[in-house]
Amino acid sequence: MSESSPTQEQAAAPEPAKEKERLFGLLDLDARFDLTRFRLIRALLKSRWMPLALILFNTFMFMIILVATLLGGFSAGNYNFGIMLVWILWWVLLMFVLVPVFARAWCLMCPFPIFSDWFQRRRLINIGEEPKKPWGLNRRWPKWLKNMWLMNVLFLVTTFFSGFLTVRPFATFVLLGSVILAAFIVGLVYEKRSFCLYLCPVSGFQGLYSQFAAAEIRRKDDAICKAHKKKTCFIGNEQGHGCPWLLMPFKFEKNTYCGMCLECFKTCPHDNMAFNLRPFGADLLVDTKLESKGLDEAWKAFIMLGIAVVFYLGFQGPWGFMKDMIRGTTLPGFLSYIAFHTVFCLAVIPGVFLAFCWLSKLASGNREVPLKKVFTGFAYTLIPLGLGVWVAFSFGIILPNGSYLLHIASDPFSWGWNLFGTANFPWTPVLTGYLPHLQGIAMLLFYLFSVDYGTKLARRIYPEPAQAKRGFVPILAALTAVTFLFLWLYMG
Amino acid sequence: MKQRETIALGLMALATVGTLAAIFGYERYRRATQFDVVLIARAPEYGNWDPRTITVPRGQPVRLHIRNIDTVSHGFGLPAFDVAVREIEAGTATTTTFTPDRAGEFLFLCTVWCSERHLEMTGKLVVQ
Repeated sequence: MSESSPTQEQAAAPEPAKEKERLFGLLDLDARFDLTRFRLIRALLKSRWMPLALILFNTFMFMIILVATLLGGFSAGNYNFGIMLVWILWWVLLMFVLVPVFARAWCLMCPFPIFSDWFQRRRLINIGEEPKKPWGLNRRWPKWLKNMWLMNVLFLVTTFFSGFLTVRPFATFVLLGSVILAAFIVGLVYEKRSFCLYLCPVSGFQGLYSQFAAAEIRRKDDAICKAHKKKTCFIGNEQGHGCPWLLMPFKFEKNTYCGMCLECFKTCPHDNMAFNLRPFGADLLVDTKLESKGLDEAWKAFIMLGIAVVFYLGFQGPWGFMKDMIRGTTLPGFLSYIAFHTVFCLAVIPGVFLAFCWLSKLASGNREVPLKKVFTGFAYTLIPLGLGVWVAFSFGIILPNGSYLLHIASDPFSWGWNLFGTANFPWTPVLTGYLPHLQGIAMLLFYLFSVDYGTKLARRIYPEPAQAKRGFVPILAALTAVTFLFLWLYMG
Repeated sequence: MKQRETIALGLMALATVGTLAAIFGYERYRRATQFDVVLIARAPEYGNWDPRTITVPRGQPVRLHIRNIDTVSHGFGLPAFDVAVREIEAGTATTTTFTPDRAGEFLFLCTVWCSERHLEMTGKLVVQ
């Protein structure tokens, strides 16, 4: 028996309690508050009208948006209902509340897949006996595309046209129309919510940032799931559909691909699904065989950061020539913008980050840890920071432009309506004097999350605490540099 | 159960077809009862006045509804009948009323310097 082998006595002894990880040293990362303990919420989550009622409401809203963007033509973005609802209100709600607090709550109420869902299921709300084979070709999504890469590319390509989308109603009409059509066509060919999972341009960043969210849907008790041999949450039953997002609700650990459709609340015969509130960012530490950290998610984090820089320079910065490039004033300028944007997001940012990761490995003194593991692992520190960048950016959208919402609510098609008496409400910037301060506070707050999770991720990447400490120093420098860059951009 | 599905489908029809019907129905009613002519204002490079020619009967009041769907302000001037709307801000609409008391063709124009091609932003009022 070797010296390191445990004796029988040692083996019989209980394992020492694993030290609980705490956010900022205070909040237990395993702490959960299950909202289904309230009867009303539980009933709501189990009702078949939820989330259909929200989806129908948003279908109604999107009909108005589509009409407004179609009739709005090529001009007057700030007075267009579609532009204001989508690029100001929806975007800000997404970044301020929906994603950071409620994860993929938008996917829960998104109306885009309603037509393909209806076609596949042949029913809108009822379940009845599940058809043996849903309508449509019901093909499986190719395995090699079961990741975020396509969404990364599609979202990046969408941002090429941001200079048109945000000011030209018809451009937004084309985008939304294409997404709705694509969701339907993909639903005819591929099974369930394949479009939402692997193609929808806004699904990717919601999935990425929902890892930071303060809410999650999870099983309550592992043992109940293990004992329940018929996995109704996955295959469906008379109460609900099998997970449309092709997840296994009885074992998934991350928010990334959970569209919060609530079907598992309905199909679980043991009421074993929970809608938890939790500490921010708990998923950032998850790295299981089923839901491993990957380069696709890492690149999504880089792309989101890069887009934020480019958007700031183009939309909120004082450089007129950049606005001209983004708005396509000249073709060479527009093509230069696309080239710069693509290289910056896909190569420059990842390249710089890779250099810091190499320094991290060097500083740690550990030569065994693969650089890819360091790179992928630490990329997740950019999730809180990236979200902070977007929260700060969103302040710059809503405070100067929010008052237009009052106008467009009363006169959604610029036809001279005055439904609520606010059609003549003048443009009124709100608290714009405090804008840089709010942006600065948001940046610093999310920076602290990044640093805290960075230290925890370092301990997972490097086996020895001393190595982790040394290895985190270059990453800390990178996070600090990014924060200072944005503080400089936002605050001058 | 069947009733629930019917209600859901009804709500979906209401959210889609019903919304479209309500939007266009209301606007059609409004135009029929409140205006005689709807004029769209855009800088010449984005479409100019639409329509460029308006035909109205002589001696009857004309309720002219002007929608500025541009990104810049426009104005409306019809010098022959002393009609002037000083500024119609981007994305807003305004209504003006006048009575053409003589037949002929008359110029109307934008009165706010709206683009490099501002001087091309003109149209024709035909009074019959």
